[in-house]
Amino acid sequence: MTTYIIAIILGIGFGFSLNKAGLTKYHKIANQFRFTDMTILKFMLTAIVVAMIGLYIFRGLGWVTFPTVPATYIVGNLLGGLIFGVGMALAGY
Amino acid sequence: MKQIKAFITQEMWSPYLAGILLGIVGLLTVLLANTLLGASGAFESIVGWIGKKITPSVFSNVYWGLEGGRAMPVIRPEITWSVILLVGIVFGGTLAALTSRTFKFRFNDDAQWKRIFGPQPWKRWVLGFIGAMIVEYGAGIAGGCTSGLAISGGMLFVPAAFLFMAGFMVTGIITIMIIYGRRY
Repeated sequence: MTTYIIAIILGIGFGFSLNKAGLTKYHKIANQFRFTDMTILKFMLTAIVVAMIGLYIFRGLGWVTFPTVPATYIVGNLLGGLIFGVGMALAGY
Repeated sequence: MKQIKAFITQEMWSPYLAGILLGIVGLLTVLLANTLLGASGAFESIVGWIGKKITPSVFSNVYWGLEGGRAMPVIRPEITWSVILLVGIVFGGTLAALTSRTFKFRFNDDAQWKRIFGPQPWKRWVLGFIGAMIVEYGAGIAGGCTSGLAISGGMLFVPAAFLFMAGFMVTGIITIMIIYGRRY
């Protein structure tokens, strides 16, 4: 039960940040691919860097153990990414 | 107090600030739940869960788990943690829209979309549906979406995340170039 409450709260934080960054708008997604609006890259890479620094500090302090990391299989990851890009540009979400 | 209120009710935050919030959420996910953020897997879990109830024989495969098989399925066909997270995401997005007073049922009101494709909402829906299917298919192959693989993997320095990001940028740019043509 507690894990589900945590999931809801973290989900709210996730959705809140997505909406406030404007990633729920079509033109933000489309213009990223035209490089006239860099919101997505700024948003994503900031999130990655912040979480990255925090995680490695926490691991150094022994507070967390890393969960199962996403598997790397070069062809699959790249092919999946290539297909994903087509859909992302078409749907614009 | 007034400043905090004014800040929260802003429609748009700086992407850096929103990114910091998401980074903290990603960090707390590992700290509190020892798992990673992800959205696309949740849809697959829901589909597998419903599918296994309706036609178990069709959904008895390696992806959602073989009937009576002992191997771990790629996607667990049940209400997983990330399905609950997905519910939270919907609430969070709504809450953010409510605080900035932009909450409204929209069918097609993006000015740029209308300029490119025309004003008909059905076009938006059809393209959105087709695009979403392609997105989910690609995410299934890659092993995650922008949140589950790119952000969660990126913060753990997983090479897959950066391959995936490079992949979707390449075809995203090409697709937008084809759609926009001379207007690119």
